[in-house]
Amino acid sequence: MFPARDQDYNGANAPIGLTGKTSASSRWILVLIQTAWNPMIRLRFLVMATCLSWQSQLLAQEDSFESRVAPILKDRCLNCHNDTESKGDFSLQTSAAILDSGFVEPGKAGDSLLMEIISGVDGQAPQMPKTGPPLSQEEVQAIREWIDRGADWPASVELNPGPSANFDWWSLRPLVQPKLPEPPNDVPAGWDDNPVDLFVWQKLNEQGLTPSGETDRATLIRRLTYDLTGLPPSKSEIDKFVNDTNPNAYAQLVERLLESPRYGEHWARHWLDVVKYADTCGYDKDKLREHAWPYRDYVIRSFNEDKPYRQFLQEQVAGDLLFPGNPDGIVGLGFIAAGPWDFIGHVEVPETKIDGKVARNLDRDDMVSNTMNTFCSVTIQCARCHDHKFDPFTQEHYYGLQAVFAAVDRANRVYQIDPEVDAQRKTLTDQITDWQSRLADLEKQIHQSAGPKLVELEKKIESAPPSIKRPEFGFHSKIVSGAQETKWVEVELPEVQPIRSIILHPCHDDFAGIGAGFGFPVRFRVEVDGQTVVDRSREDFVNPGLEPVRFELETKGKTVRVVATRLAERQNDYILALAELRVEDDNQNNGARGATVRSSDSTEAAPRWRETNLVDGIWYRGDKAGLEALQQQKKTLLAERVKPELLERQEKAKARISQLETKRQQLPVGKQVYAAATHFPAEGNFKPTGGRPRLVQVLHRGNIEETGSVALPGTIPLTNEDRFQFPGDHSATESGEGQRRAVLAKWLSSEQNPLTWRSIVNRVWHYHFGKGIVDTPNDFGRMGSRPSHPELLDWLAAEFRAGGGSLKDLHRLLVTSATYRQASADRPACHDRDAQNRLLWKMDRRRLSAEEIRDTILSVAGRLDLTMGGPGFYLFELEKTEHSPHYEYHKFDHDNQATFRRSIYRFIVRSQPDPFMTTLDCADSSQSTPTRNETQTPLQALTMLNNGFNLVMSEDFAQRLRAQSDDLSTQVEAGIALAYGRAATDQELALLSAYARDHGLDNLARILFNTSEFLFID
Amino acid sequence: MMNQSFGDPDRRHFLFNSAWGFGSLALTSLLANERAAARSTSQSQQDGLPQGSVQVLHHPPRAKRVVQLFMAGAASHIDLWDHKPELEKLHGQPSDFGEKVEAFQNGLGPWMKSPFKFQRYGESGKMISEAVADLGDCVDDIAFIHNMTGKTGVHSQATYLQATGFQRPGFPGVGAWVSYALGSMNENLPTFVVLPDHRGFASNGPKNWGAAFLPTSNQGTTIFPQRDRPIDDLFPARGSFTPASQQAGLKLLEQLNRQYAEQRQGDDRLADRIRTYELAARMQLSAPEALDISDEPQHILSMYGLDRIGSQYPDDINPAEETEYFGRKCLIARRLLERGVRFVQIWSGNDNSFPRRNWDSHEDLKREHGPLARGMAKGASALIKDLKQRGLLEDTIVLWTTEFGRMPSTQGNSGRDHNPHVFTNWLCGGGIRGGVTHGESDRWGFKPLDRDQPTQVYDVHATILHLLGLDHLKLTVRHNGIDRRLTDVHGHLIDKILA
Repeated sequence: MFPARDQDYNGANAPIGLTGKTSASSRWILVLIQTAWNPMIRLRFLVMATCLSWQSQLLAQEDSFESRVAPILKDRCLNCHNDTESKGDFSLQTSAAILDSGFVEPGKAGDSLLMEIISGVDGQAPQMPKTGPPLSQEEVQAIREWIDRGADWPASVELNPGPSANFDWWSLRPLVQPKLPEPPNDVPAGWDDNPVDLFVWQKLNEQGLTPSGETDRATLIRRLTYDLTGLPPSKSEIDKFVNDTNPNAYAQLVERLLESPRYGEHWARHWLDVVKYADTCGYDKDKLREHAWPYRDYVIRSFNEDKPYRQFLQEQVAGDLLFPGNPDGIVGLGFIAAGPWDFIGHVEVPETKIDGKVARNLDRDDMVSNTMNTFCSVTIQCARCHDHKFDPFTQEHYYGLQAVFAAVDRANRVYQIDPEVDAQRKTLTDQITDWQSRLADLEKQIHQSAGPKLVELEKKIESAPPSIKRPEFGFHSKIVSGAQETKWVEVELPEVQPIRSIILHPCHDDFAGIGAGFGFPVRFRVEVDGQTVVDRSREDFVNPGLEPVRFELETKGKTVRVVATRLAERQNDYILALAELRVEDDNQNNGARGATVRSSDSTEAAPRWRETNLVDGIWYRGDKAGLEALQQQKKTLLAERVKPELLERQEKAKARISQLETKRQQLPVGKQVYAAATHFPAEGNFKPTGGRPRLVQVLHRGNIEETGSVALPGTIPLTNEDRFQFPGDHSATESGEGQRRAVLAKWLSSEQNPLTWRSIVNRVWHYHFGKGIVDTPNDFGRMGSRPSHPELLDWLAAEFRAGGGSLKDLHRLLVTSATYRQASADRPACHDRDAQNRLLWKMDRRRLSAEEIRDTILSVAGRLDLTMGGPGFYLFELEKTEHSPHYEYHKFDHDNQATFRRSIYRFIVRSQPDPFMTTLDCADSSQSTPTRNETQTPLQALTMLNNGFNLVMSEDFAQRLRAQSDDLSTQVEAGIALAYGRAATDQELALLSAYARDHGLDNLARILFNTSEFLFID
Repeated sequence: MMNQSFGDPDRRHFLFNSAWGFGSLALTSLLANERAAARSTSQSQQDGLPQGSVQVLHHPPRAKRVVQLFMAGAASHIDLWDHKPELEKLHGQPSDFGEKVEAFQNGLGPWMKSPFKFQRYGESGKMISEAVADLGDCVDDIAFIHNMTGKTGVHSQATYLQATGFQRPGFPGVGAWVSYALGSMNENLPTFVVLPDHRGFASNGPKNWGAAFLPTSNQGTTIFPQRDRPIDDLFPARGSFTPASQQAGLKLLEQLNRQYAEQRQGDDRLADRIRTYELAARMQLSAPEALDISDEPQHILSMYGLDRIGSQYPDDINPAEETEYFGRKCLIARRLLERGVRFVQIWSGNDNSFPRRNWDSHEDLKREHGPLARGMAKGASALIKDLKQRGLLEDTIVLWTTEFGRMPSTQGNSGRDHNPHVFTNWLCGGGIRGGVTHGESDRWGFKPLDRDQPTQVYDVHATILHLLGLDHLKLTVRHNGIDRRLTDVHGHLIDKILA
């Protein structure tokens, strides 16, 4: 959008531009509006433009335009202001367009509105560019000089919007470890050792700021314990550390916490925020993902084991290919499947329909953006509908990444198999292979006998289109042992109606090799209201196959009954079966459809057999391509030319193979994880690709119906020269699929990829210090923030890369720094200069996260169950799972002890997030959440006061205190020690005891949970 | 005593007035607290109300509040608002759209006329269906848009699109945007309230009114008037926590939190927390009062179709039951709007469970559309008239919407399949020109008449923001590298429906 700023309107009753304001900033708005709406003024600018003499300009200046001005316009203006998308009705694509706009007065930069817009007026910030930092002084100067010299712009030069091909951007530059700053003489004690401090000190010093002193030990252990484990330290742990005289006390504490399994649980939560993990699919009919949790446990385990980051990354993108045989290589692929998935768009809508294509396109979009946001901090999803407007990435790059994921879907995948079962599977597979080779021999002999005619027939059979047979076969009487028994079935029409035709449709069932005409009566009669209207009971009726049997009549009535007087043979037994009974009036309306059906008896085996199937409008019409005829021909041919003994042996071999295959199928599957998959059982229209990548095309405006060139698998380039398309096998085959993800995983984890290392180091920093060195952890592009300490970031990233990607080493380095150990108290002098604390002159106080609050309350109440792993526990009642599951939080019983576990293990519902956690700013699993909001709201206060969980825990906390002592004062003291990890003051003791005396310990516990001291960390 | 039913009027009355209603003592102390709080909180809060992100409106507003009526499952435009005489002529003949059509299921049977009769109403002479006859009195206040077009016939994506402006999860609901931009008009009640269908959530559930990347405080607060506890966590539900213990407890809490804050100067959040507990206590007073319709006069209750509250209803879907449920939500919406709630969203219809209780009439259009439409029209017309007689309609926007329309051809014998190509929205109230129709569908109601100039949800959202004094182009929030807008990269004002 071309500029219009909030401040320009100050509440008066006139529209923008007509206020009579004469400030420069409103003048251009006026012009803008007139240019947009008044054709006369447009004309005037045109005339003015053509009257100017351009030819007189020097050729040399063309060069200056193309080399100096054009790149600025292209990089910073053209994406919004071009001939196609002329925001503010303003295009910079050609010289005619810019003159047409009236923003440039050739020769007079001072009178050109463009200069006001890009350089600002009266010391105010410039209006443009709307995004990213203002133009630099040099850039503004280049444009000023160009206009002053006549704004020459060769007619042959047309600027084309496109990606800013400018790779000169901090995050894309190669990662080289900077030298450590020299510690100056005046560095405070303790700040000259840890490299982090040297960089931080340097910046503080440059800005005339000073660091804060080290915080007290009680605060430090609380801060560190929460940061590394998400839980509070116990009172005894605090006391021990506070009184520990060992100079290594802090380092030992850090080690103890990094070794705690609680560490992985806490840091996995951060990771799952970013990758959008949840235990349901999201969208409509938000289905449960019962096997999502192994990925969650995998992340916890990986953090606890301090798995090298390169491996952690590779397992999540292509672990199945890069770590064959290692279960983590498959479980890690839960990453690709972590985000939302549209059940209806995949299962209910076929891939051939537009809605099906849209769903699958959005599905790949989620995989691509999850990968690139998480590992590279690149907002590649901006290039789905058009080239990235700010970063040098095109639609071609984006769809190249979609092509990488073109064969994968989200489904359950086996990752670990019982060795005994595996051995059985192997034996069976060997036997099957053996029988298959015997069968092949037999078939060879059969072919030799039957001649080329058989090959021809088999080809025809193979290519015959499949016929559709619905599972609702029809009506089927009970089975009897004799043909002579009488059976009947009747339809009661809604009202008496004229009857012109009665039509009987025979069934089709392959049972006992019968097929067409299954169960059709051999002798029968048809009655209307008890009167026989058709009598075929005197001689056998030729089985009609699938041909409908039609009787034309001139009668009326309400009940139509078919009475079988000789039943059809099944397999040494007898039945009556009919697919459909239709009763038509003069207009061929079928009155029987949906009418009431009764029978002498019925085999109710839904969906195939039941009374209502007789009037459901479904019957098998056979296959018009003559598949059956072909098969009959084949049968005849074989009977004529092949020895029966050979055919018998063939049948036996086939039967044996099918038996063995069934046995193999019945073996228990191994453990499963919901992950990226190419082989899985189909569900409705959701079918596996079998590893063959789908065709991916570049989509104009992201519209599935406007397809462009075929996208070849690739990734983003990091320099102008980079080849972004993957070399090698692009074939749409299974091996091609594997290669695509493997190449991407290697590219992502390459030492040469500067984004990856900067990204992860910045995330870890963010969780320790409350904000990243780049405070947009998912966006290192031009729309993101710039690093506050670029050298520090690069130093850490390079150090991390060189050290093998150990996250625990990185934690050690950060939390042992003096920067981390600073006090959090405000210092007005520093506050005035750096209110956001970007330069880290103190530590930031923070509120506990939703999970930390819940876990802390459980822990303080003495109820925290530290069982690790396994399926998530429900904090809701689950109802109506067969269709659209209902997740009823308000019906949940908060006394349920099975849920007293750490919050990382709760079952996360995507479409209906837990209201308690959401109110406390928990991450929304529908979107990547690299940083959480921290809000203070009245609803939060109500939740903390009244939520059932908090009340149950208040009672349990009180019970815990009562169990420790009978004395109220001692109980209150213990309460404060547990809640705050410190001794109570006399004043507190008096105040709290008085309240507990009047209202009980339950109520005191409830209030303690609501105190700021309980919920904040200094 | 707290475990007793919230639903029992006498019980409720007692509860609010004697137990949780703190009475004058509590109020005095709250006011004193507020003065104290004002000294320590940030400047923006001294003015009283929580502020929205837009400090100065982009232009003078025409409206302050919005009610959105959302028909889940896709309500048929051609059976309610968009009269198609052509279908009466073609009824029963094989449908032929003159182009290849991709139905969501198999709904390309013969043309099907509406099972409902249409009739002219008002001075504008607008033809609407007998199923929504109750809105006949309001057509002169309403602007109809008959050329709405969507992007997909999949309920979930289409519902997201209409509710959040994006067809994927992860974006804030319209109400959340409005709450974020404009803030509250009454700090004792939530800014954005949602009244879901009590039988279950529509597609996507609460994600339709989530805050997504906006601060959580902007998410819709769900209220279930028929539940024992209409608002989660408003009051404690366990015996040992009493009004008296809360009152004394809040006093103690304030003392502790104030001490903590005083030792940590320069941190506004700590003072803000103290204030949130004061506001919470106020909400405990205000919210039950806002939901208590027992003091509404009989003629108002009748107007909303609430003559027989608590009647027993048959198992089959029926108009009387639908009227009571929808009417009650409309009446509560009016009470909330009157008390300064900024945005109310009312849902009709739940998910696709069995038996069907939503507008997704694949099998039998008359069976569900009849009762649902009658109930909706009674409540909606009462809401419009009631707002009008109280002078509130002039600055309250009412928007009727759904995720898409239904096909003019038959599915099965008497149902209609999804039609994402065209459907109807209507608006009335603050700044909307009544008695007009903008945009037409083609002669069957299959696609927009002018296929190059359809109306999209972006346009409706842009227009609503415009009426609230907001420029949809300027209301942006940067999230993961993109300046997000409610209207994405689209949206044009619908000038023709502006008064």
